[in-house]
Amino acid sequence: MNSNGNNHKSDTLILGIGNILMGDEGVGVRVVEEIQKARLPVNVTCLDGGTGSFLLLDPMQSAEKVILIDATVDGAPAGTLRRLQPRFSSDYPRTLTAHDIGLKDLLDTFYLLGNQPEVVLYAVSIPPLHEMGLDLTPQVASRIPEIARQILAEVNE
Amino acid sequence: MARIVVDPITRIEGHLRIEAVIEGGKITDAFSSGTMVRGFEKILKGRDPRDAWAFTERACGVCTTVHALASVRCVEDALKISVPKNAELIRNLMFCTQYVQDHVVHFYHLHALDWVDIVSTLKADPAETSKLAQSLSNWPKSSPGYFSDLQKRLKTYVGSGQLGIFANGYWGHPAYKLPPEVNLLAVAHYLEALEWQKEIVKIHAIFGGKNPHPNYLVGGVPCPINTDEVNALNTERLNHVGSLISGAMNFVEQVYIPDLMAIAGFYKDWAAIGSGLKNYMAYGDLPTRGYNYPEYFKFQRGAILNRNLNEVFDVNGRDSEEIKEYISHSWYKYADGDTKGLHPWQGETEFNFTGPKPPFEQLNVEGKYSWLKTPRWKDHPMEVGPLARLLVAFAKGNTEVKDVVTEALQKLNVPVDALFSTLGRTAARGLETRLVVRWMKEFYDQLIASIKGGDVNTFTREKWDPSTWPATAEGVGMTEAPRGALAHWIRIKDRLIDNYQLVVPSTWNASPRDAKGQRSAYEESLIGTPVANIEQPVEILRTIHSFDPCLACAVHIYDPEGKHVHQVQFN
Repeated sequence: MNSNGNNHKSDTLILGIGNILMGDEGVGVRVVEEIQKARLPVNVTCLDGGTGSFLLLDPMQSAEKVILIDATVDGAPAGTLRRLQPRFSSDYPRTLTAHDIGLKDLLDTFYLLGNQPEVVLYAVSIPPLHEMGLDLTPQVASRIPEIARQILAEVNE
Repeated sequence: MARIVVDPITRIEGHLRIEAVIEGGKITDAFSSGTMVRGFEKILKGRDPRDAWAFTERACGVCTTVHALASVRCVEDALKISVPKNAELIRNLMFCTQYVQDHVVHFYHLHALDWVDIVSTLKADPAETSKLAQSLSNWPKSSPGYFSDLQKRLKTYVGSGQLGIFANGYWGHPAYKLPPEVNLLAVAHYLEALEWQKEIVKIHAIFGGKNPHPNYLVGGVPCPINTDEVNALNTERLNHVGSLISGAMNFVEQVYIPDLMAIAGFYKDWAAIGSGLKNYMAYGDLPTRGYNYPEYFKFQRGAILNRNLNEVFDVNGRDSEEIKEYISHSWYKYADGDTKGLHPWQGETEFNFTGPKPPFEQLNVEGKYSWLKTPRWKDHPMEVGPLARLLVAFAKGNTEVKDVVTEALQKLNVPVDALFSTLGRTAARGLETRLVVRWMKEFYDQLIASIKGGDVNTFTREKWDPSTWPATAEGVGMTEAPRGALAHWIRIKDRLIDNYQLVVPSTWNASPRDAKGQRSAYEESLIGTPVANIEQPVEILRTIHSFDPCLACAVHIYDPEGKHVHQVQFN
C-alpha cells in the first residue's frame, strides 16, 4: 500500500511473508527484496508483507493473482522449494506461527466473502529455529536467487 | 481433580500454554506459560538508536506501530528531544487508528467466537435477525435478504467440510447462550468488520508511507506536509483521512457497540467470573501538550491497588525501585543470581532453558516454566489493558470515561463491580474504542487547523546528528499498546545501543508467578472459573481472550508440535 492509501491495481501481487527478525523465517521478505531488483511487468506489484496478518487482506483482494512466498518448517532439507495452490487454510503447510493470525484465515475469508484471488504459494523449507537474528542460514540464503528466478519466470510467462 | 492443558491457545498472536487444575467443576489453580523464546534485545545491541524502531516494529503482526512509537520515544527521552506539535498529532492519529482496528478485529475475529456459535447461525430466521438488527441501530445492511444470503453462503461453507477459520470452536457447547438470530447477526458483522478494517488502516499508509510496517522517525514523523504537493501529505490525503475517521465513528457506534451490548446482555453471569488481580496499571498515552506531561494525556497514567478507586498512585518508568523484572520462574539467568529483580535499564537477556523437551505432559511449575519474565510494579503484580486504562481514568475523575462507563452499566443494569470481570474487560475495550474515535476527530481537526494556520513542521533536526549526543544516555519510551502498558528502555553508549529492553503488556498479564508465589493476571483471573466440560474448556478461552493476548512480542520461536487441547487426569 502506498501513501495515497491505495493499492496499485495490479493483476499479480508478489507477496513475501515472514519475520526478518527470525532469520530464515523471513525468507519470503528476502525473496521479494531480490525480485524488486529486477524489471517487473507493469501488471505485477511486489509487497513486503512482513508480519502483516489482517493488514494484507486489502492488497490481496485487490489482485487477481497472489504469489505468496513463505517459510515452512516441514522437515524437508533447508532451501527446498515447493509450488502449491492452497485453496483452504487446511491446505497450507506448517509455518512458524508468529504471523499465523490472519494469513491462513484470509484464505478462508476470501472464500466466504466470495471474491478470492488465485493464490499460488511458494513454500521454502527452513530448519527449526532456536535463536533470533537477522541472518539466514547458508542453505536458505543460497537458494534466494533461484527462487526469485522461478517466480519471475512465472510472472513473465 | 483434573489438570487441563490448553496448548496452544488459539486465535491469539503468538504462543501461549495454559495449565489449569480443576476440582468440583471449578479452576482452583492455573499456570500460564509463554512457549516461545524472545531475544531481539540481542539483535539491537550495537546498532544506531535511530534505527531501533524499524526492528522492534517487526516484533509482531498485530501491534506494529506501538512498538515503533515506544522505540522512537525512548530514544527521544534519552536525547531530550521534543517533537513538534504536528508530529504529536500525527502520531496520535496513527495510535488511534491502531486501536480502532485492533479492538474491532479482536472483538469480532479473535474473541467473538468464544460467545457466538457459528454453527447455530444455520438455524436462524433471517427475518428475525433483520428485525433485531434494525432495533439496535441504523446500520444500513440489515434487510432480511441480506441475512438470508449470508446464511446460504455459510451453509455452503460448512457443507464443504472446510471450516477453517471456525474450526477451533466448541460448537454446541451449553455455555453458548445466544439465540441463533443473534449468532447470525454477529457472523454478518464478523465479515463486515473484516472488510471495514481494510479501510481504516489506510491511515497508517497515508502518514507512514506504507503498510504493513509504516515508517517512524526519531524527532518527529517522516511525513512532509504540503497541501499542493503530489507526494506530500496534501489536501487530498488529508480529506481521505477525514472520511476514514467518519467511517470509523459510524462503524463503532452503529455496529461494534450495539453488538457488544446485545451480546453482553446474554452473558451477564460473566460479570462475576474472571475477576483476577485487584491491581491495575496504565502508563497512559495520547499526549496533548507533549510526552513529558502525562497529566495532559487523554489516557491517564497511574496505578490502582486493591481496587481502591479513591487513590491513584504515580508510575515512574525511570525509578529503579518501581518496575522490575523477576525470573524465578522464567527460563533466563541473571549474572547476580535469579532472585533479585532488575530494572529494565539494568535488564539482562540470558537464556537458561530448564524445561522438559516436547512432547511432554505438564510443566514443572515448581521451577522455571515460561519464556516470559515476571514484571512487577513496586513488587505488586499488575493487570494492564483496556480495563486498567478505564479504571485509572475513572478513578482520576475523567468525565468522558465516567460518562461512557456509567451509560454502559445502566444499559446492562449491572453495578460498578461488574467491571472487575471477564465481561468487564471485554466491555472496557469497546467503551474505550468509542472514546478513541471521538479523540481521533479532535486530533484531526487540530491538525487541519494547525496546517491552515501555516505550521507545516513535522520534524526537529536538533540532536539528529550523533555528534551532538552525550557519551552515555538512557531513556524510557512508554505507551499503551491496545492490550496494555508497553515500554522500551534504552541505554546509549558511544552513540550506539548498549542495552535495549522491552516490557510488553502480555508480559505483565501472562507471566508466571514471582518468587513470593504471587500469580500474574492470567493465572489469577482463572481461579474460580467454572468449567462445564473439561474436554471443551471454552470458559478458559473466554477469560484469557478477554485480555487480548499477544505473545508474539513477548516471546518468539516455538517448537511447532502442539496439540490444541490436551487433558491429563490424575488422582
